Amino acid sequence: MRCPVAGPYDDDVWGAMKAGPSQEEIRRHNLGTLLRHVHIGGSMSRAVLAERMGLNRSTILGLVSELGSAGLVREELPRDTGRAGRPSLVVRPESDRVYVLAFDVGVDRLAAARIGLGGVFLDRREISVPAGRRDAGKVAEVLAGAALDMVDAAGHGTYCVGVAAAVRGMVRRPDGLVRAAPHLGWEDEEFGEDLMRLLGLGLPVSVGNEASLGALAEHLRGAGAGCQDLLYLHGDIGIGGGVVTGGQLLSGDQGYGGEIGHMVVNPRGGRPCGCGANGCLEAEAGERALLEAARRDPSATGREAVHAVVEAADRGDITARAALHDIGDWLGIGVANLVNVLNPRTVVFGGTLREVFLGSAAQIRSRINRIALRASRENLRLRVGELGDDAVLIGAAELAFSEILVGPLETLARAGA
Amino acid sequence: MTATPTTPILRLSGIDKSFGAVQVLHDVSFDVRPGEVTALVGDNGAGKSTLVKCIGGIHPMDGGEYWFEGAQVQVHSPREAAALGVEIVYQDLALCDNLDIVQNMFLGREKRRGLVLDDTTMEEMATQTLEGLSVRTVKSIRQQVSSLSGGQRQTVAIAKAVLWNSKVVVLDEPTAALGVAQTAQVLELVRRLADNGLAVVLISHNMNDVFAVSDRIAALYLGRMAAQVSTSDVTHSQVVELITSGRSGDLGLARSNGVTA
Repeated sequence: MRCPVAGPYDDDVWGAMKAGPSQEEIRRHNLGTLLRHVHIGGSMSRAVLAERMGLNRSTILGLVSELGSAGLVREELPRDTGRAGRPSLVVRPESDRVYVLAFDVGVDRLAAARIGLGGVFLDRREISVPAGRRDAGKVAEVLAGAALDMVDAAGHGTYCVGVAAAVRGMVRRPDGLVRAAPHLGWEDEEFGEDLMRLLGLGLPVSVGNEASLGALAEHLRGAGAGCQDLLYLHGDIGIGGGVVTGGQLLSGDQGYGGEIGHMVVNPRGGRPCGCGANGCLEAEAGERALLEAARRDPSATGREAVHAVVEAADRGDITARAALHDIGDWLGIGVANLVNVLNPRTVVFGGTLREVFLGSAAQIRSRINRIALRASRENLRLRVGELGDDAVLIGAAELAFSEILVGPLETLARAGA
Repeated sequence: MTATPTTPILRLSGIDKSFGAVQVLHDVSFDVRPGEVTALVGDNGAGKSTLVKCIGGIHPMDGGEYWFEGAQVQVHSPREAAALGVEIVYQDLALCDNLDIVQNMFLGREKRRGLVLDDTTMEEMATQTLEGLSVRTVKSIRQQVSSLSGGQRQTVAIAKAVLWNSKVVVLDEPTAALGVAQTAQVLELVRRLADNGLAVVLISHNMNDVFAVSDRIAALYLGRMAAQVSTSDVTHSQVVELITSGRSGDLGLARSNGVTA
């Protein structure tokens, strides 16, 4: 079985249809749209739903009762409104009943979470992986074990409706083949299929790039909520990126799009990059560049090491300051180029770049202001990620939810409800 | 909202202020727009605090106009400023250590039901305000302020300022005494206030903070407004020049041979 990779916005429900959609298809579409509204927007009244979806109240009532009898939403009194008068019921997602499994394959840390409809974390496990035990098969085994544990703990009357994993690598569309994950030493791994087999839940496992999924998460639930044109930079061991344009996650022909970290900013005499080129943004502004410029102990890497540099700079350490100054300049060059090409409304700095941004915003912004085109930069907003370390897991969950948000009743039926 | 020309909610023009023979502000104009963070920068003694105290109604102005929501107003006391919807969070925060978060937020403006305090309403309002600001760092709103970290105190002080449906919030060096992680929290909060539609004035010495969250930068130099520019139009070194010499290229004060009339 193939593992479909599709963002929640990829689905063209009317695709391949020549005549107008049938009644049944319209209803299916409306059910999915309504569920998406309460999944992303949280509890809301039928009146609000009617307004947002542009449908009349009796149609909304019908849709809500259909989703309600399937056990996807529930109507209840809101928490104290503090206002006089009889409060109207709100429609809320059945977060405890309907959930997905989301995985984040980090370089030295694996995370698995059970996330309920509405984006609620119900359960999570974190497992550290020693070096040498990071081959795809082993990782899939560990994650499947943790996941099945959580599925057992969830108990009777709960339904898993999707599974997705985020990897730090290039993932082919639409089959989810991991072409290369250099930090893990993976090459052409059918990771999704391995995981699916080990889980034995009868559900396909979608696989996505970690930064793209981070972008999706910040776009739907974080610093870019409500923003249709977003550029997301994710600092981890390298620099990943995700682009949302016109509300759609940019994937490119085969899904490899958005590799911001490998945009060459300094081709002549630039630092060598793990990809074989010289002067990639990741090589000039990534974690290793920062730690080296700050003359840190090369054995210390990761989030804490980056944090230590930013903190030292804040206390006035001139080496750390100079390092951040330099890194900020390169980041500014990278972002300015992307701003000219993509004209995003918001640029979000996530992962370790969150702290790097706050510690070098003056350089980043100055560089953008010097080289990005005036018209493209004047409404540009620079923001830090709001979802913190959970962005990738949340993005993976959103990928896993994409099926049920397109065909709620069919997907739930397939999950055995 | 950087370049969309929203009308200022607060506009000062031609402000003069002297303390005895010492002129501290000279012909200062200052605009503050809703949905934006306006950074107010300047060296020590440039007049930032005096300007803020004029906005907050603590210092009477010697001359100049105070416009609020398109109408000229007179502000003679902090109470009048608060009535307009202008709140100021001073550096010392003015929180009472021996009171809890709710008590601090309502200090001097307690809600009453008959003769007794209406604790339920106050707790609800405090909770709603903190939730509206996505503050997740505070465990209980009945916690004493003495048990809070520097960042949490700053958060409480800011929440106290926005509790009253304020429209303009002025923050005096909110990150000055904080570490990196707490600074990040406070900056996020500052940004969220503006994204929620408030007009925010941020006084800061830290250029990274200024460039990270502001939409506009106003630079004071020796009691004059050297320039008020969009953050997307200037570089770090230009802002530093405005602060240290009052001008940078075409920006800033006209050359005056060092004579400040």
